Amino acid sequence: MRERKRLYFVNWPLVFVVIALLAFGLLMVRSATTGITGSSGMLRRQMLGIAVGLIPLAIAWRLDYRMFKGAHVPLMVLNAVLILAPRIPGIGVTAKGATSWIVLFGQQFQPSELAKIVTILALASIIERYKGSIEDVWDVVKLVGVLLIPFGLILTQPDLGTGLVFLAIGAGMMLVGGLKAKWFAIAGLIAVLLVGSVLLLDPVLDRRAGRDVLLKDYQMDRLLVFVDETRDPQNSGHNLRQSKIAIGSGELTGKGLGSGTQGNLRFLPEAETDFIFAVLGEELGFTGASLLLGLYLALLMVALDIASRSRDMFGSLVVVGVISMWTFQILENIGMTVGLMPITGIPLPFMSFGSSFMVANLTAVGMLLSVWSRRVGT
Amino acid sequence: MLEQNERLRPRLLVLGALFVGVLLLLLVRLWTMQVIGGAEYVAQAEQNRIREVTLIAPRGRILDRNGAVLVDNRATKVVLAERSLLDDGVALKRLSDLLGIPTTAIESRILSSPDVAYASHVVMTDASDGVVAYISEHPDLFPNISVEARTVRTYPNGTLAAHVLGYTGTISSEELESEGFIDYNPGDIVGKSGAESQFETVLQGDRGVRTIEVDAVGRLRRVIDSVDPEPGRDVRLTIDIGVQKVAEEALSEAFSAAAGLGYPQADAGAAVAIDIQTGEVLALASAPTFNPEQFIGGISSEDWDAITAKGSGYPLTNRAISSGYAPASTFKAFVGLAGLESGYASSGKSWTCEGSWVKMGTQWKKMCWKHSGHGSVGFERGIAESCDVVFYEIGYDFYRSGEEKLQEYLRTWGYGSRTGIDLPGEISGRVPDAAWKKEFNANYPEYQRWLPGDTVNMSIGQGDVLATPLQIAVTYAGIANDGKVLVPHVFKDVLSENGKTVIESEVKEGATPEFDQGNLDLVQRALRRVVTNGTASSAFRSMDVASAGKTGTAQVAGKEDFALYVGYAPYEDPKYCVAVVIEQGGGGGAVASSAARKVLSALLGLDTGYVSTGVDYSR
Repeated sequence: MRERKRLYFVNWPLVFVVIALLAFGLLMVRSATTGITGSSGMLRRQMLGIAVGLIPLAIAWRLDYRMFKGAHVPLMVLNAVLILAPRIPGIGVTAKGATSWIVLFGQQFQPSELAKIVTILALASIIERYKGSIEDVWDVVKLVGVLLIPFGLILTQPDLGTGLVFLAIGAGMMLVGGLKAKWFAIAGLIAVLLVGSVLLLDPVLDRRAGRDVLLKDYQMDRLLVFVDETRDPQNSGHNLRQSKIAIGSGELTGKGLGSGTQGNLRFLPEAETDFIFAVLGEELGFTGASLLLGLYLALLMVALDIASRSRDMFGSLVVVGVISMWTFQILENIGMTVGLMPITGIPLPFMSFGSSFMVANLTAVGMLLSVWSRRVGT
Repeated sequence: MLEQNERLRPRLLVLGALFVGVLLLLLVRLWTMQVIGGAEYVAQAEQNRIREVTLIAPRGRILDRNGAVLVDNRATKVVLAERSLLDDGVALKRLSDLLGIPTTAIESRILSSPDVAYASHVVMTDASDGVVAYISEHPDLFPNISVEARTVRTYPNGTLAAHVLGYTGTISSEELESEGFIDYNPGDIVGKSGAESQFETVLQGDRGVRTIEVDAVGRLRRVIDSVDPEPGRDVRLTIDIGVQKVAEEALSEAFSAAAGLGYPQADAGAAVAIDIQTGEVLALASAPTFNPEQFIGGISSEDWDAITAKGSGYPLTNRAISSGYAPASTFKAFVGLAGLESGYASSGKSWTCEGSWVKMGTQWKKMCWKHSGHGSVGFERGIAESCDVVFYEIGYDFYRSGEEKLQEYLRTWGYGSRTGIDLPGEISGRVPDAAWKKEFNANYPEYQRWLPGDTVNMSIGQGDVLATPLQIAVTYAGIANDGKVLVPHVFKDVLSENGKTVIESEVKEGATPEFDQGNLDLVQRALRRVVTNGTASSAFRSMDVASAGKTGTAQVAGKEDFALYVGYAPYEDPKYCVAVVIEQGGGGGAVASSAARKVLSALLGLDTGYVSTGVDYSR
C-alpha cells in the first residue's frame, strides 16, 4: 500500500521524457566529441553532471516547494549574490569574454544558471500574492523592477543570452499570473523601441565617441549576423554558415550517428555545446530533429499538465517559470543554429554539454516533481 | 479541481499554444533546410571536406639517338607566393630578407609571370632546405607563401642543342583555351619551343588525382581515392650528341676564323647535318644560342628582354629552320639542273666569261665574282668554279622564254616550301616570281614589274630568293640520293619502360623532282669537282673520304658577305649531308666549308677526337 502511494507521487511521463532526453543528449555529446582529444573525458563529465544534478533534483522533489512562498526578499538577495559571485576575486573566472564562472573545490560553475531557478521561485512568490490578476500600475512597475535587477546584473557579465532567458521567464509567469494583455502590448512596444534605438544609435554614438559605447562592435555583428551572414564572416557568420551546412546536409534521414562530416572534421564550432543541435541535424537528419522536437513537446505537455493540477497558484507559477525558461532556450538555441535567431551562447536543455546547465535543468525537474507530488487530491 | 486552476487554464493554453507555435516554426524551418534544400547543403558540406590534389606526372626525358640524356628531370623545392602578398609590405619584406631577393624582384616575378591570373606564382626555384624549413615552420609569418616539391627540367649538357630541345614554361591562358591543351590545368608546365613543344603529348604523361578528406584546419584526414600519375614517355631524337657538339664547335671556330680573316662581325649562323638515306637530323646547330635553364621556374623579365630585344642577336631563333638566307652559289646546282632539263645547258655547251656580262644592256652590267673572267667555261667547270656568267646566261634564257619554268622547277625540289621537319617554327623560304613581286610591292607600283634582272639574280641564288640552311641540306641530300628528297626529322622513337619501341619514325619522301638521270649525274660530277679542283678544294684538301659540295657567298645589303657551304659524303655512297651558313663570315665560303668539313669528318669517323658516341658513321 505504501509502495503504491509512493509510485503515485512520481509523474512517470515526466521521468520517462527526461530520461529519453538525457539519453539522447549523451548520445549526441558522444558523437560530437569523438575525434577531439579527451573526448571520453567529456562524455564522462557530462554523465557526472547528470549524476550531480540528481542530488538537487531529489532535494527539490522531497522539499515542499511551498516553503519558498513569501521568501522573495531573501531569494532576491541570493539571486544577486549568485550573479555577482564571478566578480569575487579568487573564485571568479572569465571565459569567452564573460565573467560568468566561479571555481569551487576545483570545479567550475556558472552560478547564473542556478539564478534562473531562484528567480523563478522569487517571481512566483511575488506574483502569487496578486491572486491571478495584476492590474495596478505600481504592481507592474514593481514586478518589472524585480525582473530587471537580475537582468541588468547579468548584462554586466556580459551575457545577453542568459539575460534574455530571465526576461522570457518573467514574461511567461506574468502572462499566467494575470498580467493584462495591454501591459504586454506596452512592454512589447517598449522592447521594440529600446532594441531598435540601441541598434540604430550604437553606430552613431560609437562614431561620435570614437570607441564602443553601448555595444561592442563584435556583439553588434553577432546579434545581427543571422540576418546577414556577411556581417561577421570570420567568426559568428562562419559558425552560422557551418551550422546551417551541417543541418541542411543531414537531409531527411541524416548521415548516420558518428558519421557527420561537419562535426567530426571540426568544421562545426562548439559542436558539443551551443551547436549540439547541428550535430544532431547532420547525423540524424530531419527525422532525428523531429524526434527531439517531439520529446520537447511531450516534456512541455507534461509540465503544462502539472501546472494545471497544482495545489496552489504558487506551484503553477513555478512550473510556468520552468516552462517559459525551457521554451525560450529551445527556441533560441535551435533558432540560432538554423539562422532564425541571433547567435547567443544559450545551450539546449538536456542536450548540450555543460554541468551547471544540466544541474539547473535537473533541479527544475525536481521542482516539477515536487509540485506534482503535492497536487490536488493527494 | 480548485477554482483558481480553472482561471489559470486558458492562460496555460496560451502558453502551450506559444510553445507549439515555436516548435512548428522550427519544424518548418528544418523541413525547408533539410528536405527541400538539403542537396545544396550536402554539396557545400562536401566542398568543405573534399580536396582534389593534382599529382603531376614527371615529364618524359629527351634522349639523343644513342640514349644519352639531353633533357632530364630533377626534384626541387619552389617557393610560391599569392598575389595578395604584394598588399602586405611587411610580409613581402620578410620574404625578401629570407630569400635574399630584392622586394622589387619578387614583385616583378609575381606580376610578370605569364600566369598572372592564377593564385600562386613561383618566386624562387631551388629553395634551400633552410628556407623551406623556415617557411614551413612559421606559417603565421608567411601567410601567403607556400613551398612545393616539384620536378623541373635539367640540362646535363648545358646549352647543347638548345634550339632542338626547346624549353618549357607554365601554360599560358591562350594555350589553356586552345584545342591542343584540353586536358590541361592552370599552372601546368608545357613545352614552349623545340622538341619540348613538338612532342608535348608524348612527354607530358597523365596527371594523377588524389581525392582527400581534410578537416577544418586543412589537415589531411584520409585519402579517399588516388589515381597515380602516368609518367610521360622518353623521346629519343635522331640527334647525335657527339656530332651536335662538333657542329656547335665548328660554328664558333668559324666565327673566330672569320674574325682572323677580317670579318669580326661574324657571330651568327647555323649548321645542319642529316642522314641522306633516312632524313634523320644528326645535328642542328644555331648560333647564338640560349640557356634553357633560364626558363626553369619562369624566366625573369630582365632575362627575357636580354634574349629577345633588338641587338640581342635573337638567340631564341633557330636559324637552321627559321631564318631565310640567300642560298647564293649553292643554288647553282639546281639552276644548272633546271637549265639542263630545259635545254638551256648541256654537258657539251660552253659559255664565255669575260668577268662581266652586259646582255641586258650596258647600264645593267653584271659582274662575275672573278673579275678577270673564266674564259671559255663548260657546265662542270661553271659549277666547280662557280662562274656567275654561266648562270646569268641560263637565267636570262629562262627569262626570255616568257614563262616561269625556272621557278616551277626549283619548287619541285622543295624550295619555297617547308621541308616538313618535326620542329615548330620552320619557315618556307621563298622562290620569287612575278605574282609574288606584284603582291610584295603592292604599295610601290613602280617596283611591281618582274624584270630580267630578277630572274638573272635568282639564278645565282641572290635577289629575292630565300632558303633555310635545312632546306639547302635537304635538297642537296636529294641530289646525293639520286633525286629522292626525304622529309627531315629529329624524332627517332619512343621507348616503353622495358625498352621496347612504342612509336618509331619512318622514312618519308618529300619533294618529288623530275630529272633526267644523265643530267643529275652531271651535276653530281660537277659538285665533286668543286671539292677536287674548284672553290672548296683547299678546304677539303687531303680528306680521306671523297665528298662533293658547293660553296656560296651571299651578298646582304648593309652587311658583310655571308659564307655558305653544303656538301655530302662519301661521294660514291652518299650517307651524310651538311649545310653551314656563317652570317658575315666573308666571301668565298671559306669559313663555312671548313666548318662543314669538320662536321662531315665527325660523321665519317675521321676525326674521332670529337665523336664520343662510339658509333661509326663511316660504314
